Amino acid sequence: MIPKIKTGIAAFDELIGGGLPDNTITLIYGPPKTGKSVFCYHFLQQAISDDEFCLYIMTDYNLFQLEEKMMQFNWLIHEYLQKEMLYVLDIASGSIGAIQKETATFKISSPQNPTEIISKIIEDLQYIYQKTHRFRSVLDSTTTLFSFNSPILIVRVLKSYVMRIKVAGGAGIIAYTEGAADSQIETMLKATVDNIIHLDGEKIDVEAMTGCDNVSANYKITDEGLCII
Amino acid sequence: MDLKKTYIPRLDDILGGGVPKGTSMLFQAMPGIVSDVFGYQIISQRVQLDSEIGFIYTNTRTPIEIERVFDKYGWDLKTPLNSSQIFFIDSISGMMGVPPMGKYIIDDLAKTEEIVIPAIEDIAGGTAVIENIATLIDSIGADNTIKCIKMLNEAAAKHEVNIVYLFTRWDYEDQLVEQLRNLVDCEIQLFSIEEKVMYRQVFMVVKSNWTRASKCKTFFELAEPGGVMVFIPKLLVTGPYNAGKTTFVHAIAEKAVSVERQAFELFPTTVGLDIGHMDYKGFSADVFGTPGQERFDLLLEPLARESIGTFIIIDSTKPDTFARAKEMINMCQAEALPKVIVANKHDLPGALTPDEIKKRMALWEDVPIVPVSAQKNEGVDKALDTLFDLIYRV
Repeated sequence: MIPKIKTGIAAFDELIGGGLPDNTITLIYGPPKTGKSVFCYHFLQQAISDDEFCLYIMTDYNLFQLEEKMMQFNWLIHEYLQKEMLYVLDIASGSIGAIQKETATFKISSPQNPTEIISKIIEDLQYIYQKTHRFRSVLDSTTTLFSFNSPILIVRVLKSYVMRIKVAGGAGIIAYTEGAADSQIETMLKATVDNIIHLDGEKIDVEAMTGCDNVSANYKITDEGLCII
Repeated sequence: MDLKKTYIPRLDDILGGGVPKGTSMLFQAMPGIVSDVFGYQIISQRVQLDSEIGFIYTNTRTPIEIERVFDKYGWDLKTPLNSSQIFFIDSISGMMGVPPMGKYIIDDLAKTEEIVIPAIEDIAGGTAVIENIATLIDSIGADNTIKCIKMLNEAAAKHEVNIVYLFTRWDYEDQLVEQLRNLVDCEIQLFSIEEKVMYRQVFMVVKSNWTRASKCKTFFELAEPGGVMVFIPKLLVTGPYNAGKTTFVHAIAEKAVSVERQAFELFPTTVGLDIGHMDYKGFSADVFGTPGQERFDLLLEPLARESIGTFIIIDSTKPDTFARAKEMINMCQAEALPKVIVANKHDLPGALTPDEIKKRMALWEDVPIVPVSAQKNEGVDKALDTLFDLIYRV
């Protein structure tokens, strides 16, 4: 049996045999406003419930906004932050000149500097690896990276990222807005990950997953998050 | 030959004193290693110490971000910017939607050489830092990038400008990397030596047209402030009581010193540390031997954390101490470190063979076991080669 890692969406986990395969990387993609980020919040919330470490890379909102968004679903990350179990890489604030102090668990980078992004991720992974060999990682989202860089460069960067997370023993999800890059790049992106989940606003579709059939279900976003109906 | 310093520690020595005027250097970095600090250090130190002039071409960091990086490493950028000793060629701000800043602004990467060549003329005799070639390759294509670099090199040679290219090597074809290497006078690779996730950064000169540079690997760290600093790696020698750790340390590091106490023990034994320094095949390291008694176990973990590789010394004739050896491996978290088991005293009667030792220790992974007699200096080089092969397996 492949060890599973819960997504945090109970009904969906049931559907896919207990969760995502551990130590794999899953692409969550779909049109804008279909709940990709909400999926990421679930994934983080589950890390909190299971007392697991999480590396969270954000490109469109900062830590304060993440905290607010999580709060909308009544999920509190404050205590988790204080326990230093959440490692945040904020790629949203760096280039606009906001000067925040970096700490062991909070780092800043810029979307157009993938070399620095990967170097900071490796720094975080070294810390995390000393504490645990089981952790989660969220990248929300690659869309911004694609829009600030040559898309082929970002595919290279993601390959490097996926390799790093897996070597360190983590399980990761990567969000991507359909259509942000051309179809050739999308094909390459899909080839970089292990599992693929598509969201279209009504239906959640498992397009590919190790040891799991291609299933789908209807969903809607409520104040409890992403709910399978 | 008139050479310009790079002000990167050790690098100038390796390059025979520095870099000739009008030549090009390529820093090729594995993803995860920031090569730009090397470029910034070269230009900032030359400007400050040699009153040079130069520019930074950037397509990855905005000038404001670069200023912040200089600040972090303690290098003054404001003064040379104000006096125009340094200027930016800003090829990024436009893309990011922030106001560009610099003497030259590039809004279309395809026009890179059109703008950079006049800038090279402006800084005759100075230093040009170009970051990052990877962005150029993936934006305008490999062929155009190569054409561009050729033209920049010609201009640099003509105006005696030392040009420094920074290049993050994502998964590009070997052939392209080879082509880039052929374009420059000197290539320095930046990579990491790692076991699982723990890693150490290294630079290595792989090509230099003006000198026969040794291909030694120099460990480095980035210090804030300070920039690139050479890091002397540590090798840890550990193992059960009376296995011969001190003898082994002295065999690999001739001038090692040991803290010994003889009075209360049957055998002279180490109660402090064996400390030495070794140079072996272009690799230099500090060697630390730990005491084997359990009451000194506290020392193991911090030493292991600082080490890049471990020798575990066991007495081949004493299988009853193997459990203790295993315990010590666990304790110093040597699982995340390249390690070699040195089966010492293999020449004595009753010594077990590596296969027998492997069976008795019930090792959970494939740790090489090298039979050695530290006393007779037999097998010591083999042990060193084996560990270095593991450390440098990239």
